[in-house]
Amino acid sequence: MAQKMLLSLRRICRSFGGIQALDDVSLDIARGDILGLVGDNGAGKSTLIKILAGAHDPTSGDVILEGRPQKLSPPSEAQRLGIETVYQDLSLIGTFTAAENFFLGREIALGRGPALLRWIRRKSMGDIAMRGLEELHIEIPGVRSKPVDRMSGGQRQLVAIARGAFWGHKLLLLDEPTAALGVRESREVLDLIKRLGAQGLTIVMVTHNLDHLWQVCNRVVVMRRGRKVADLASSGTDMEDVVAYITGARQPATAQAEA
Amino acid sequence: MRAAMSADHSLPETHAPAEAPRILPSTQTGYASPNARQRRALLMRLLGTYGTIIVLASMLGIFSVLEPGTFATIGNFRNIVNDMAIGTIVAAGLTVPLVAGDFDLSIGYVASFCGLLVVGLLSSSGLPILPAIFLVVGLGTVIGIVNGIVVSKIGVNAFIATLGTGTIVVGLNYAYSGGIPLQLTQSREFTNIAIGRIAGVPHLVIIMAVVLALLWVILNRTVQGQHIKAIGVSPESARRAGVAVDRSRIVAFAIASTCAAIGGVLMASNLGSGQVTAGDSFMLTSFSAAFLGSAALREGQFHILGTLIGVLTVAVGNNGLAMIGAPIFTQFLFTGCLLVVAVALGGIGRRYARG
Ligand SMILES: Nc1ncnc2c1ncn2[C@@H]1O[C@H](COP(=O)(O)OP(=O)(O)OP(=O)(O)O)[C@@H](O)[C@H]1O
Ligand SMILES: [Mg+2]
Repeated sequence: MAQKMLLSLRRICRSFGGIQALDDVSLDIARGDILGLVGDNGAGKSTLIKILAGAHDPTSGDVILEGRPQKLSPPSEAQRLGIETVYQDLSLIGTFTAAENFFLGREIALGRGPALLRWIRRKSMGDIAMRGLEELHIEIPGVRSKPVDRMSGGQRQLVAIARGAFWGHKLLLLDEPTAALGVRESREVLDLIKRLGAQGLTIVMVTHNLDHLWQVCNRVVVMRRGRKVADLASSGTDMEDVVAYITGARQPATAQAEA
Repeated sequence: MRAAMSADHSLPETHAPAEAPRILPSTQTGYASPNARQRRALLMRLLGTYGTIIVLASMLGIFSVLEPGTFATIGNFRNIVNDMAIGTIVAAGLTVPLVAGDFDLSIGYVASFCGLLVVGLLSSSGLPILPAIFLVVGLGTVIGIVNGIVVSKIGVNAFIATLGTGTIVVGLNYAYSGGIPLQLTQSREFTNIAIGRIAGVPHLVIIMAVVLALLWVILNRTVQGQHIKAIGVSPESARRAGVAVDRSRIVAFAIASTCAAIGGVLMASNLGSGQVTAGDSFMLTSFSAAFLGSAALREGQFHILGTLIGVLTVAVGNNGLAMIGAPIFTQFLFTGCLLVVAVALGGIGRRYARG
């Protein structure tokens, strides 16, 4: 087995009651991929992300991580394995600073045992968060002092992605990272995603914006009605093609060889 | 209200709002020009941040002018602080679940029962003082844990759940006492806990200071406190980040109930007897204090120092009214009005927090 593959999904199905949200989806994610996941509303993108994040278990099918079958749920297990997720609604605590958000749930603290007896080390957390953001060339004033709900939407998204990248050493999952952002803010977020990719981080990103996809992704996977209908190298396709797959104007070639 | 809406703690897949639900509905009155609206927002922010302190300062001013000889004296302030000590302990305890986004309506009944029980244990079972106190305070902790489990694991709305457990505690109270006050047959040793002084400082004030400091440290310097604050803002975000949401809520309820039990024991020591309903009123005064506190310095967030300022505001008001010879009913009017004003100010603080 090619150890180049970071993670493979094999014939994954997932249904909710009568709804088949994912239908026989196989997908190989190579190390260093920046994979754009597109498709119409209800196509199954978020469900796929949630399977990778450990938030859902597949109804059937296997997940293979670095050559070994692996159960990813619950989310804490996926996190332990180095898979981090930035959900669409950010998951930041508005009254906390960026540094506090960075370490929420994984605080640096003195002492062991129950959380009640563990003394938080704000200074260390602040230092490390600052350094983490600096390394990613993210310049946000007030990392240690400013509640994130006083920041702009773009700054919050940068913080959320940086947090994911900081903890997710294998795979970073992004669900619509540029939704609800302005042009300049979107560009900053996309630049950050590019930088993370350049550092070798593997990223799967859901988006409705094909422009944004083209700016950062080396692969495009199109979902339609729970099925994977296309899996293309960005360099070997164009936007028209992708749109055709999304709308169903173009059907997958029969017996399409797995990438 | 915010904490009452915290039932959505237990809904697994909800997209929790990123910010705390507002207490006030958004009342857009008239069509102000942008400039006027900005000025109004700034005013509201100031009101939500300093409202309580303004109320406190004006009362201090007014009563000092009206009664310079009796109100504005060191002796009177020593009395105020001593009298508010027990209430502060209970209110500060309540602040912890409020920070976590949960109401606890049982604290007053827990205080009553624990006060009665400690007198009963000392008088009839012959238990020494310290074990009796530990037993009763431990019972308070257990009641809090039960509250937390019912609310988080079973998913009952905190408002209803704690009303239920509180009523059960009232039942236990009557089962134990038959509704009749218990007299303390024990020595003065027990009453000395609340009445005694060290180097001129009343024990009660010292105990209050210790409890406040402890709670402040828990909320602001421990991992548990960080998690309690996080779930109060967005339980879903906290859960995704790996916070043990249920456990944090249970700990918060346990802290509130423990403080209520301590308050009950001190109250019994102060009274020298076990009164069936003596602690019930702590519920209202604690909520007033905590909500007033949320409009002190922090734009609508509950916090320990704020609650202390809140208790002080209530205490100064009541004391001042008594000093100017206002009839007793005015104190109820005052406390009631203050609760409404407090909730309004806290809500304004939250609503305009982002400016
Ligand atoms: N928890 C759930 N319970 C029931 N049905 C669900 C659940 N999650 C997803 N579904 C259904 O599965 C299908 C795929 O949903 P999914 O959220 O994965 O789509 P999506 O591609 O992310 O769409 P969108 O672009 O609108 O976010 C939809 O029909 C949806 O209604
Ligand atoms: Mg989706």
